[in-house]
Amino acid sequence: MMEDQPRSDTNKNSGLMLDIINVKKSFGELEVLKGIDLQVQRGQIVSIIGSSGSGKSTLLRSINHLETIDSGEIWLDGMRVNQPDMKGLAFERHINSVRQNMGMVFQQFNLFPHLTTLDNVRLAPIKIKGMAKPEATEYCMELLEKVGLADKADTFPAHLSGGQKQRVAIARALAMQPKVMLFDEATSALDPELVEEVNQVMKQLAHEHMTMLIVTHEMNFANEVSDHVLFMDQGVVCEQGPPSQLFTNPKEERTKSFLKKHLEQQ
Amino acid sequence: MNFDFTPVWENIPTLISGTGYTLFIALFAAILSLVGGLVVALTTLYGKKIFSSPLRLFIWLFMGTPLLLQLYLLYFGLGQVGILIPALLTGILGLGIHYMAYNADIFRATLQSIDNGQTEAARSLGFGRMQTLWFFIVPQAIYRALPQLGNNMIIMLKDTSVLSVIGVSELVLNAQFEISNTFRPFEFYIAIAVIYYILNLMLETSLNLFEKKLEGKR
Amino acid sequence: MDFTLMWEITPLLLKAAWVTVTISVMAFILGLFVATVLVIMRSSSFRIIRWPARIYISVMRGTPFFVQLLIFYYGGSAFGINLDAYMAGLLAMGLNIGAYMSEAIRGSLVAVDSGQNEASRSLGFSRTQTMISVILPQAAGLMIRSLGVLSVILIKGSSLVSIISVVELTYQAQRIISSTYKPFEVFAVSAVLYLILIYGVISFVDWLYNRYTRYLFH
Repeated sequence: MMEDQPRSDTNKNSGLMLDIINVKKSFGELEVLKGIDLQVQRGQIVSIIGSSGSGKSTLLRSINHLETIDSGEIWLDGMRVNQPDMKGLAFERHINSVRQNMGMVFQQFNLFPHLTTLDNVRLAPIKIKGMAKPEATEYCMELLEKVGLADKADTFPAHLSGGQKQRVAIARALAMQPKVMLFDEATSALDPELVEEVNQVMKQLAHEHMTMLIVTHEMNFANEVSDHVLFMDQGVVCEQGPPSQLFTNPKEERTKSFLKKHLEQQ
Repeated sequence: MNFDFTPVWENIPTLISGTGYTLFIALFAAILSLVGGLVVALTTLYGKKIFSSPLRLFIWLFMGTPLLLQLYLLYFGLGQVGILIPALLTGILGLGIHYMAYNADIFRATLQSIDNGQTEAARSLGFGRMQTLWFFIVPQAIYRALPQLGNNMIIMLKDTSVLSVIGVSELVLNAQFEISNTFRPFEFYIAIAVIYYILNLMLETSLNLFEKKLEGKR
Repeated sequence: MDFTLMWEITPLLLKAAWVTVTISVMAFILGLFVATVLVIMRSSSFRIIRWPARIYISVMRGTPFFVQLLIFYYGGSAFGINLDAYMAGLLAMGLNIGAYMSEAIRGSLVAVDSGQNEASRSLGFSRTQTMISVILPQAAGLMIRSLGVLSVILIKGSSLVSIISVVELTYQAQRIISSTYKPFEVFAVSAVLYLILIYGVISFVDWLYNRYTRYLFH
């Protein structure tokens, strides 16, 4: 597909942060994403819910190209993310620069164990953005303050609790000043009593108008914090809408049965 | 570049007989090192102090010195005390004792790793100490040690080549005999390298199949 | 036990031990170069670059080091090249251990959790930056261990270059035994020297490993 220049102009002007167009992906024989369309506005909080295997994580990971897609387009603030015609070093340079505008938070935290908390957060700004060390240190300490972990700056990840690790991971992603934050089941690997501290940080971010895409199992949290909710099932967007509508008055049968099952478990 | 492989083809019978000796030596050295290794390991862990300490020294000493040095000790040492045994036997002993130390070290590790929980379970059922050991710990320790023991056997097969230095008539020495007649060292050494490569491959494959079969039974 | 003899031969054996040390150190460095090249070759996207590396590793690991040594030393005549014993020994040791090192390095890199790569790339780090700042530091711990084990193997393997008359520790030991007929005494002193070298390396590697992985401990 050719790049349409006019589209990028319209994207920038309209405040459209993420434009996902007819994205399809298969793992071998299995089609995991069957033509997903999604638009996320600047400052919007979108939650994606669905059972495992629905494709929600795959969709999220396709946005920053951790998964490659078979067809479709992904646009971030007027920049095209996937470039089927670019290869090799050119594509690598492109994707590295695109990814600087997106922050991802993983279910398994993936903190760098050989670095202290502070080093985890300031590694990217120093090495990629070329920030000077004193400047980066000051900036990153502020971020750690924000997530409530300034006192753990010189601690190694091995000595942090799950909730603390995830908060550091969020600070690490924020340090690059991304345009959008992607959360891949950020609290699913946490002990229940540690979930709230991470949710607090995420709520704070939402309050500050960060554009956020949240894949989650936490219905209550999604209800509280989102502007828009997507329910995915077997590779398609089954239903979407504001949380006030989707959670209390779902239109589709599949949505109803999923929510029912989930409420029973909770 | 000056190659001539005809002497190699002409002397294939020698190479085959050399290979046969190599396999024979490897087999008996393997048996010696495996059985001996288990006995040494059991003694160091459960035996009387006067036996276990020297044996622990033996393991440490023979793992920390080269095979060749140990072979010289055996070869010249036996001569010193007046014991005359055929070179083949010296080779099997030297190789077997060397790997006995390595295998004992492996068995020690696996025996200790199995011992903990299993002993409590068996003893609380009423099994005596010896019975616990024999029926529960040793079989599991052997099973757990198999991959590493297999690796050692693969390495040992290649180490049979070192025995040529003390006059053991295995593949390398046989080839060297022909080299001294034909003056074609490169060609012969390449040929025996190929033979070793094939033997190595065969041994690796058999060991893999053996392990898979055992896993199936469990 | 002839302690006077042991005292007398120690300086001679010490000198020879130094040769063992130097040749092993140089072979280690050569091996690292070889291993780095092999690792890079094996991660190439082109099969024509990957395959020669795989074949090289398979052959070096599948044939006895002793035979490789003999090929290097005696086989040169077929090519019109004559390597001196020390060079032949050094080359053979380095090229052999390099194959093993490359597998150890690859193993350590692969052992690092894939989530690390994902986190790093999602921040915008390039493949190279990820390798240098994230993967390599974490793989280093395992690498230190594996390379330590290989160093010990290297030192023990160096004993074989005595066969091509390099005057290192085992060569000197054999010469002294042949002229004095006191294998036990000579073995005792030589063994002590090897043990100091080997367990010295092991202690150093353990210390290095602990220093490097202190972030894992409380």
